[in-house]
Amino acid sequence: MSNFNRYQCSVCDHIYDEALGDPDSGIEPGTLWEDIPEYWVCPECGAEKSAFVLMS
Amino acid sequence: MRIVIIGSGIAGITFAEKMHTLNQDAEITVLTKETDGYYSRPILSHGFSKQDIEQSIIMKTFAQLEQNGIHIISGTEVTAIDRKQRTLTISGGDNVVATLNYDQLILAQGSAAFIPPPFLAYRNQFYVFNSLTDLKLLRKFRQAYTEHNKSPDWAIIGGGLIGCELASDLNAAGDQVTIFHAMDRLMERQLVAEDSQSLLKHFQSCAVNILLDQAVQGFERQGDKVSVQIKDTAENYQYDAVIVSCGFKPRTELAEDTGLETSRGIKVNNFLQTNDENIYALGDVAQLPNEKIYAFIMPIRSQALWLAAYLNGDITEPWTPPIFNPKAKVHGFTAEHPYLF
Repeated sequence: MSNFNRYQCSVCDHIYDEALGDPDSGIEPGTLWEDIPEYWVCPECGAEKSAFVLMS
Repeated sequence: MRIVIIGSGIAGITFAEKMHTLNQDAEITVLTKETDGYYSRPILSHGFSKQDIEQSIIMKTFAQLEQNGIHIISGTEVTAIDRKQRTLTISGGDNVVATLNYDQLILAQGSAAFIPPPFLAYRNQFYVFNSLTDLKLLRKFRQAYTEHNKSPDWAIIGGGLIGCELASDLNAAGDQVTIFHAMDRLMERQLVAEDSQSLLKHFQSCAVNILLDQAVQGFERQGDKVSVQIKDTAENYQYDAVIVSCGFKPRTELAEDTGLETSRGIKVNNFLQTNDENIYALGDVAQLPNEKIYAFIMPIRSQALWLAAYLNGDITEPWTPPIFNPKAKVHGFTAEHPYLF
């Protein structure tokens, strides 16, 4: 039933799962990719949002 | 201003790209012995469970970086630095032997696999796992088995961070893995004892064989197999291949040859500057005044971005390490406590 997507960091392989969000950075569970602010960075390596790739 | 960077890993390229963004007039040249392109070393740790890794690991080709205004001389080695004249001697690649001037030089050569001296005599009997070149060799070896629906039986020497990541990924790919660790618990440099214990249980639950307190003496080829020799035991452990994963060694040789101060890494102040005011060091080669080498991706990127802004005159404060939480890429394992550093 989940329509949530997962995005993977091309620098460190960290996965952003829309269902889980990134609560440590203030991103609530269920936050869609397009709703994440542009200043957000990968919590593991600090790469910019643009370094992430949609997982199939 | 002519800025020359040695090394095309995360440290060197993150710096080069940022510098170019801040100052389009700066002439930026990267010298690298790599030929495959710009790739991220942490991704190597998923190198067996991912099918298309050889292509997908490349974040940018050198041609793409050239288009972005960064001149790359690949497949080349810097053989000497003349600090008085501020010139480099380089060999290989398109330039057989050439010299290159710099105003500022950034050392970002990264690190090589550390091989414990007693193992050097057996160098042709084991693999290491430190670069895309190493990964390609290992994948080729492995492919000869998988083509016949078999999978190799591996021994990994070293149960530190990389050894555990490697064991986990080979296991995830379907191979049989044994870790020989010299210490009495896994990843003792990164994990508190309780987390080492849960990592051990995790590995046991996915059938990775863990042998602790093992004093590995050497290796011996026996037909198609390689045996791992342990001190004071007659047991004959045999494997299809052995990978030595005993930590890393910063590439400091060139810096030493040119008279820069080195210890385990190249010594820098809190402005990442060596004892030559025109030479800086970043990433796995840089050892800060607190003796630490920040060999994790978050602080390395932070150093690179900081140095570009500093050299561009945008900031005057020294570099300070960011808060970072390293995490081993062990499939299905999360530590309860923060990692030690």
